[in-house]
Amino acid sequence: MQTKRTVFPNKLLPYLLIAPQIFVTVVFFLWPAATAFWQSFLRQDAFGFKTNFVWFENYRRLFADPIYINAFGHTLIFAILVTVLSTAIALLLAAAAMRVLRTSRIYSTLLIWPYAVAPAIAGILWWFMFNPSIGIVAYMLRAMGVSWNHLINPDDAMTLIVIAATWKQISYNFLFFLAALQSVPRSLQEAGAIDGAGPVKRFWTIVFPLISPTTFYLIVINIVYAMFDTFGIVHATTQGGPARATEILVYKVYFDGFIGLNLGSSAAQSVILMVIVVALTAVQFRFIERRVQY
Amino acid sequence: MATINIIDVKKNYGAVPAVKGINLSVADGELIVLVGPSGCGKSTLLRMVAGLETISEGDVEIAGRNVNKAEPADRDIAMVFQNYALYPHMTVRGNLEYGLKNRGTERAEINRRVAEAAEILEIGPMLDRKPRELSGGQRQRVAMGRAIVREPAAFLFDEPLSNLDAKLRVQMRVEIRRLQRRLKTTSIYVTHDQLEAMTLADRLVVMNGGLVEQVGTPVAVYDRPASLFVASFIGSPPMNLVPVDVVRAADSAGTLVLPAGTDMVGLRPDALLVIKPVEPTVRLNATVELLEPIGGESHLHVRLGKSQRTVVLTVPGRPDFAENANIDVFARVDAMHPFNSDTGKRTD
Amino acid sequence: MVENRPFLNFLAHLVLILGVTIVVFPVYVAFIASSHGPNDFLSGVVPLTPGSHIIENYSTMLSSGMTSSGAPPIGPMMINSLIMAVGVAVGKIAISILSAFAIVYFRFPFRTLAFWMIFITLMLPVEVRIVPTYKVVADLGMLNNYGGLIIPLIASATATFLFRQFFLTVPDELMEAARVDGAGPMKFFRDILLPLSITNIAALFIILFVLGWNQYLWPLIITTDQSFYTVVMGIQRMAAVADAEPRWNLVMAAVILAALPPVLVIVAMQRLFVKGLVETEK
Repeated sequence: MQTKRTVFPNKLLPYLLIAPQIFVTVVFFLWPAATAFWQSFLRQDAFGFKTNFVWFENYRRLFADPIYINAFGHTLIFAILVTVLSTAIALLLAAAAMRVLRTSRIYSTLLIWPYAVAPAIAGILWWFMFNPSIGIVAYMLRAMGVSWNHLINPDDAMTLIVIAATWKQISYNFLFFLAALQSVPRSLQEAGAIDGAGPVKRFWTIVFPLISPTTFYLIVINIVYAMFDTFGIVHATTQGGPARATEILVYKVYFDGFIGLNLGSSAAQSVILMVIVVALTAVQFRFIERRVQY
Repeated sequence: MATINIIDVKKNYGAVPAVKGINLSVADGELIVLVGPSGCGKSTLLRMVAGLETISEGDVEIAGRNVNKAEPADRDIAMVFQNYALYPHMTVRGNLEYGLKNRGTERAEINRRVAEAAEILEIGPMLDRKPRELSGGQRQRVAMGRAIVREPAAFLFDEPLSNLDAKLRVQMRVEIRRLQRRLKTTSIYVTHDQLEAMTLADRLVVMNGGLVEQVGTPVAVYDRPASLFVASFIGSPPMNLVPVDVVRAADSAGTLVLPAGTDMVGLRPDALLVIKPVEPTVRLNATVELLEPIGGESHLHVRLGKSQRTVVLTVPGRPDFAENANIDVFARVDAMHPFNSDTGKRTD
Repeated sequence: MVENRPFLNFLAHLVLILGVTIVVFPVYVAFIASSHGPNDFLSGVVPLTPGSHIIENYSTMLSSGMTSSGAPPIGPMMINSLIMAVGVAVGKIAISILSAFAIVYFRFPFRTLAFWMIFITLMLPVEVRIVPTYKVVADLGMLNNYGGLIIPLIASATATFLFRQFFLTVPDELMEAARVDGAGPMKFFRDILLPLSITNIAALFIILFVLGWNQYLWPLIITTDQSFYTVVMGIQRMAAVADAEPRWNLVMAAVILAALPPVLVIVAMQRLFVKGLVETEK
């Protein structure tokens, strides 16, 4: 692993320096993760007296449970929609901002602040706007003849959380796309123009391929965001409803663990989520060379 | 007496030996230059003296004291780095004072030393500026100032001029020499530039592959290189190395006497002439390959006789030689350096 | 932009203005709503212009909250959020910079192991290990206090990586010169490394402050005592009221208040924030 060519000779000091982080990591990250892992192989009996080691029984039950499969499906749909929408819109905005470079500072300021808004608050804002009785968007929809009720209609509820999650994530993607677009050498665009390509053609054939590392990186990050950071959106608004239509995996882990008190199942779900995160992080590090060199 | 003794010092990186056993004594007030190609171990040796690298075997003594286990700060040395290593967030004054403050030197003494160094190096007007506002040459002077205020037993220079442009390098070379002469501080100076080595050193240490090839005054090393390596490393353009039979074949009179074991002969570019001198020479047949005028003199590249070996001559002025012209080259017998290519060493 | 295509420029501006509108609209609506009185919503149509109840609504939320819906006053909650956000940001920065310093400037047994242990925390967001972490915190008696809110969150791989990457770009000679100048490791850290890291620390502080302020799940599960609620999680109780229609004007006032501090921070420090964001994720 990379170090400096000269290091300090102290033997004890480095351990002292690294101790706080290792301590917190072990106590609050590694130990709970290990506990979850262990607990996923246990099952309490109906009266809560005895705990049995049941191997992969919890996992088997999960994957046989239509509700869990549903949650999986919802999560997948949710993640894909949010990722595609927020990256596409952000790319469009970033490309537009590049075109009007001089004023782009103002647009940037106006577009990046949603990053600072908590997902839960984003959820509440859109929940309010779509409120069937007093929400302004609901009002406009009704005026156009579209009926809307996210309290009853599962698709409407899913649409709501997708919009809220996308709205918040656009600014993050916008920032990265803008930085990436600005790093494409102008000379390449000029060469393309001389070669007879118009701006739109140039964008898709020259610029877009060149920013593909950023695009790829953002896709992975967005998927992680959609899967894990959106707990607040669901909990603050639909709470998984109506009829579990918006129950995404990260919400289910909480619900089954804290409300349902089904520890074995919640632990198994945690482990499954861990595997997913590990896979996504591995992909991110493997294919995106710009990361830390070892 | 600030002498430095390097006694059989070795450095291994794992199984790889970088420095293979160096013995060297630096006298008080001497400026010794470690010169050699990249990777020869000269910087490693310097850093071991400084305490920035651990010593695998052997001993280093500074001012009579064994410093193997001492921290750099406790070895009474000051170092000037290739990249200046000035603290970017401190002013020039801050940079100069830092080492003294760490040692608890009194404020009055700090001020005195800083003022003196500033005067010697002419950096007084820059004392309150930050390094990024200075030019390369100015930064290098501040780096030297940092070394001076410490009033150490020895200066250690690690290729300090490599980052400067050619003209500045010449100017700074003179300044460093003058400074060292004035302060009379024992100094070890590392460089890969043989010209720098020749002009600065009281004594030269030519290194190659972790070992010392030759130690001596610049003139001695130039006049009598002890090995093929030193012969081709010191001097520009480099010494021409010619197989001995080429020379013998041209020795029609048979008067050439060379020591036993000689199979290579070294001839400096100025030992090969196009006009026969009064000194005894051997006449070689050659074909002109290329003439490089460099101003007051020219470098003439020729191919020797049947061997087609290329040698370089320095000729005065700008003579008019056509390409592929056939000419006579006279090799001065008294300027021949005999070598054995198996041992790589001089045979006399 | 290479050639002059006025139509495309117009289109670009249009797209951007549309984007800004979509982005700003919800907040505008919220702000308008928060400025109206309690009865302005009964007509079923949301007004689009500010009302006259701004001061009244905001001060109510700040001081007394909506006791009828079990929501505490916003003021104290915002203070809790502030403590948590600053605590998390400072905590993360402090322990990460020390760890990065140890990993880069020293060689010691288990160094690689320590590095990978820190790396693993990237793959363990709190949502993934929620029940067991809660148990650990509960067992340590850290529920319902600031320690429990802050400490479990401060192991951060991202900050450590950022500092590590930055330290690797600091020239070796700087540290060697400092050593020759008599500086031990901590002196070097304080006198030289820290001043050079200020920009990174500031940028990171902004991001971590926002992250800490916006924590939702963690405060939700470890605080049952209202006096420790943070504002972002506390708001949920007002908005998702099961039986009655929430009092939207007050809820929106609370929402604006809850969202304001982090937004102000990143807008004020936009340059630094953008730099920090793009640097940490690289």
